[in-house]
Amino acid sequence: MRNTTSVRQQQPVNMAGVGFRRWAQALSKGKGSGISALLSGSRAASSASKDSLPGPYPKTPEERAAAAKKYNMRVEDYEPHPDNGEGYGDYPKLPDRSQHERDPWYQWDHPDLRRNWGEPIHWHFDMYIRNRVDTSPSPVSWSTMCKQLFGFIGFMLFMFYVGEKCPSYQPVAPKQYPFNNLYLERGGDPEKEPEDVKNYEI
Amino acid sequence: MADYREAPLATRPKTLDPNEYFNLSPEQRRAEEARGAIRANLKRQYQTQLNNPHRQELIEDPALTRWVYARTNPYPHFKPTFKTSLLGAMFGVVPLFALYYIFKTDRDRKEEQIKAGTLERKFSLSS
Repeated sequence: MRNTTSVRQQQPVNMAGVGFRRWAQALSKGKGSGISALLSGSRAASSASKDSLPGPYPKTPEERAAAAKKYNMRVEDYEPHPDNGEGYGDYPKLPDRSQHERDPWYQWDHPDLRRNWGEPIHWHFDMYIRNRVDTSPSPVSWSTMCKQLFGFIGFMLFMFYVGEKCPSYQPVAPKQYPFNNLYLERGGDPEKEPEDVKNYEI
Repeated sequence: MADYREAPLATRPKTLDPNEYFNLSPEQRRAEEARGAIRANLKRQYQTQLNNPHRQELIEDPALTRWVYARTNPYPHFKPTFKTSLLGAMFGVVPLFALYYIFKTDRDRKEEQIKAGTLERKFSLSS
């Protein structure tokens, strides 16, 4: 039967690839109808088996090698998260790089995610997708960015403070009415002579 | 440019990265070749499944299955250490009591002001 490890050097076998092939073959020559073949024992060949899912922290070098093979990584590259009870198990600790940084011109299997099929996924992959957190290099250095941002904010705050202390606007005064402050309209006696109201100063 | 310091949590531009210039020893090249071999094997498996004319179903990605399983099942690997219990207390216990205390005192103070008639009822929308 054609093997997936038919290359001269030692290569990690993708267990699910082998399992998928066996399951597909069992299904094609399976006894009975499709549904019963699905429900019979051939389900164990899918990736729901124990040895292809994440497990506990690897303690011995053999466990580390097996875990590296499971995750499709080199044994030297495989580095599990430190075993401090935070729930990682044997999941590999990949570099904290966002998908923004990956080559946009390479032919990825999933171009929008910039990821190949079967590649180990970062624990915080859903944070590092191209719509979200970006760790790519910044155009200017951190100190320049800090100076520019806080300089601008500080300057604006200072100017607003100065504007509060020394306000500057068109001069205003209460509205002045003609005809002796509208003496007749306000119900003044038409016979009586109103006193003169002077709303100006010369 | 010699004093370029990258922002925290961001990376260095490729042209300023010393790895580009210094990683040329045979061991590193062999390592890169091994990684390329793994990548090529996975590509081959994916392309075989993708171009199979008899395939009816979706191509299942075991790396994705593992990731989802790892993210949803951290409980067997949980150990109550100082850090984890501190985090649990900070996020689970402290907000409960702190928010209760804050809201209760603020509302009691407002009630006192209403009863005394000193509450200033402004027209602004924010208070």
